[in-house]
Amino acid sequence: MSESAASSTSIRRRLLLFLLPPLTLFMLVGVFINYRTATIFVRAAYDQKLADIARAFATQIQQPEPKPLAAPAGILFSITTPAGQNRAGEPRLPTAPAGASQLTYADATLDGHDLRLVTYRVATATITVAEDDDSRPNPGRFILASNWLVDFIQLDVTLLIVWIGVHFGLKPLLTVRRQIEARSARELRPLDAASVPTEVRPLVDALNLLFEMLTGAARAQSQFVADTAHQLRTPIAGLLGSLQVLMREPAATPLQSRLASLYEGVSTLSHSANQLLALAQADRATSLTDGFRKTDLKAVVERVVERNVDRAVECGLDLGAECSPASVDANSRLLDDLLGNLMDNALKYTPSGGRVTARCGYDGSHPYLEVEDDGPGIPESERPRVLERFYRIPGSAAGGCGLGLAIVDEIARQHDARLFIESGAEGRGTRIRVSFARGRTEIHVAD
Amino acid sequence: MRILVVEDDFLVADAIRRGLCMSGFAVDCASDAEQAAAALAAEHFDLALLDIALPGADGLTFLRRLRNAGEHLPVMILTARETLATKVQALDLGADDFLVKPFEQTELAARCRALIRRSNLKSSGQLTMGKLRIDITGRQLYNDGEPVELTGREWLIVECLALSSGRIVTKERLQQAVASWDQAITPNAVEVHVSRVRAKLGDSVVLRAVRGLGYRLDEPR
Repeated sequence: MSESAASSTSIRRRLLLFLLPPLTLFMLVGVFINYRTATIFVRAAYDQKLADIARAFATQIQQPEPKPLAAPAGILFSITTPAGQNRAGEPRLPTAPAGASQLTYADATLDGHDLRLVTYRVATATITVAEDDDSRPNPGRFILASNWLVDFIQLDVTLLIVWIGVHFGLKPLLTVRRQIEARSARELRPLDAASVPTEVRPLVDALNLLFEMLTGAARAQSQFVADTAHQLRTPIAGLLGSLQVLMREPAATPLQSRLASLYEGVSTLSHSANQLLALAQADRATSLTDGFRKTDLKAVVERVVERNVDRAVECGLDLGAECSPASVDANSRLLDDLLGNLMDNALKYTPSGGRVTARCGYDGSHPYLEVEDDGPGIPESERPRVLERFYRIPGSAAGGCGLGLAIVDEIARQHDARLFIESGAEGRGTRIRVSFARGRTEIHVAD
Repeated sequence: MRILVVEDDFLVADAIRRGLCMSGFAVDCASDAEQAAAALAAEHFDLALLDIALPGADGLTFLRRLRNAGEHLPVMILTARETLATKVQALDLGADDFLVKPFEQTELAARCRALIRRSNLKSSGQLTMGKLRIDITGRQLYNDGEPVELTGREWLIVECLALSSGRIVTKERLQQAVASWDQAITPNAVEVHVSRVRAKLGDSVVLRAVRGLGYRLDEPR
C-alpha cells in the first residue's frame, strides 16, 4: 500500500476532515453573533451620550440668558429654528429625519467623515449633535479579536481531543495488528476475540475464519502428502526387499553391479518418500503444541544413534555420542526426526574413516542438540540456502532429495529453536546445532 | 524355526519369504486373516509377521482375536503407517515388536531371531545367540557347547547385554547392574570387565562399543 493511499483511508484523517468544516462554520457564526451583539450595545451607549448632550443644549437655549454654547471635543452640533434657520453650530450638519419620538438617530457623511447624529426636536429649536464614527473608541474590534482567539483555540483543542480520542479508540486495532505481525507464515492460531472492543470483533472474527480456512487447507495439503508417502511405502518395501533377496542369490552374481545401482535408486526413492512424510508430519504438527511434553534430549540422542549404528559401521564411520543431561518441552517424535535428519546428512556426506558425533546438553541456559562430522563441510556461501526445500549443494555426491535440512528447520521453528550451521572442530567438517529457547515449560504454566 | 507371514502385497510377501528363507527360517505366507487363522490352527509356528492393512479383518483385529483365544505366539507388526497411536494400540493388543516399511532384510531377520530368542527364554530359561548358549536360570554360559568360566561381575554383564541383545546397553546401566553385586565400581572398571568378557566370547558374537553411549551385543551377520 502506498503512503498516499494509506493516509487517504486513515480513519483519523477522515474523521478530522469530516469534523473540520462544520466546526469551522459554527465558530464563524458564533464570532459573528458575538460581534453583532457587542456592537449593538456599544452603539446604544454612545447614542445615549449624544442624546444627553442634545438634551443639555436644549436646556441651555431655553434659559432666560443663554450662555455661549460649547460642545465637548469631537462633538459637532447645530441648532436651527423649527423653520430651518441656523442659530448656532455647524450649519452644514444634516438633521435626522423626524420620527415619532423627540429623539431620532441617523448616520450621515460630512467632509468625507462618517457621522452618527441625533436630532432632538423641542418647540423652539431643532438640536442636532453628531460624532465622528472614527473618533468613537471601538471595543467591538477588541471583542471580535478576543472572540476569534478563544474560538480558534477551542476549535484546535476539539480537533486535538478528537485526534487523541481516535488514537485511543484505535488502540485495540493496533494490538491486533501487532499480534498478526509477530506471527510466522505457518502460525494460524485464532486471534483472541474476547479482548477486542465490539466494533472490532467482526473484523477479528472474519480474520479467525480466514485462519481456520487456511489451517484446513494446509492440513489437507500435508495430509495428502502424508497419504501419498504412506501409499508409496508398501510397493517400495516390496521392491527393496526383492532386490535385497535377489542380490544374495548365487545366480545373480554376474549382475551384482547392476543390481546394486538399481538398489541404490530404490533406496533413494524410499528415502524421499520418508522425507516427504516427515515434512508433512512436521507441517501438520504446527498447531499441535499441546502435544509438547518434557523430553529428555539424552534419550533422543540414544535412540537416533542406536538406529544408525549399523549404517555407520557399514560406512566405516566412527559414530558416537557426548551427552549431558538436558530436557526441553517438545514433541519427542519430531525431535527424533530432527536429529535423525542431521545424522543422516552427516553419515551420507562424511567419507569412510570419518567421525560423527551427536551431542546434547546446555549452552548457558539453552538446551541444545547437535551433530558434528569431519566431512567436507558446507561452504559459508551455501549455508543460508541449504535450508530451502529440495535445494542441494552443487556438485554434492551422495543421493539425497534436499529435504533433510528443510525438515530440521521446520521442526526447529516449531520448537522456537535456532539453527546454527558452523564448521566443526579445527575448521573441518560441519557442526549443526539446534539451540532451544529456555523456559518453554514456565511459559506454558504462565499461560 | 517357522514363521508365518500375513501380508496381502505379493511383492512384499515374496521378498520377506525369500529373505527369511536365506537366513535359515522356514516361512509360510497367508494373504488375509482367514488364511492365517487356518494356518495357525493346522501347524506350529514360532513367530507371525502381521501386516495391518489386510483385506477383510485388519491385522490389529486379527491380533486381538488371537490374544483373546489365549495364543502366546510372538507377533511382529509390519506396517506402512507409523503413527504413535497405531504403535501404542498394537503393543497394547499384545504385539511383541513393530517394524515400519520399508525395512532392511537384515534388520527383519535380526528382529525375528531376537523375538524367537525371547520367547524361547520364557519357555526354557535359555538364550541362544549364534554359537553362544546363555542359561539364564542356571547362570551358565556355553560357547560352541563348551562352558565358559565367568566371574560374578562378568556374568552380570553378559546377562544384561544378552537380555537386551541388538540394543545399546548404556554404560550407566551396566554400572548399576554390576553395582548391585559389589557397591562401588567406576565406569573405567566397567570397561575393564567388558573387555575381559569380549576376550572370553571371541568371535561367536559381536560385542560393539558405541562411543559415548555403551555396548551392543549382536549375532554375527
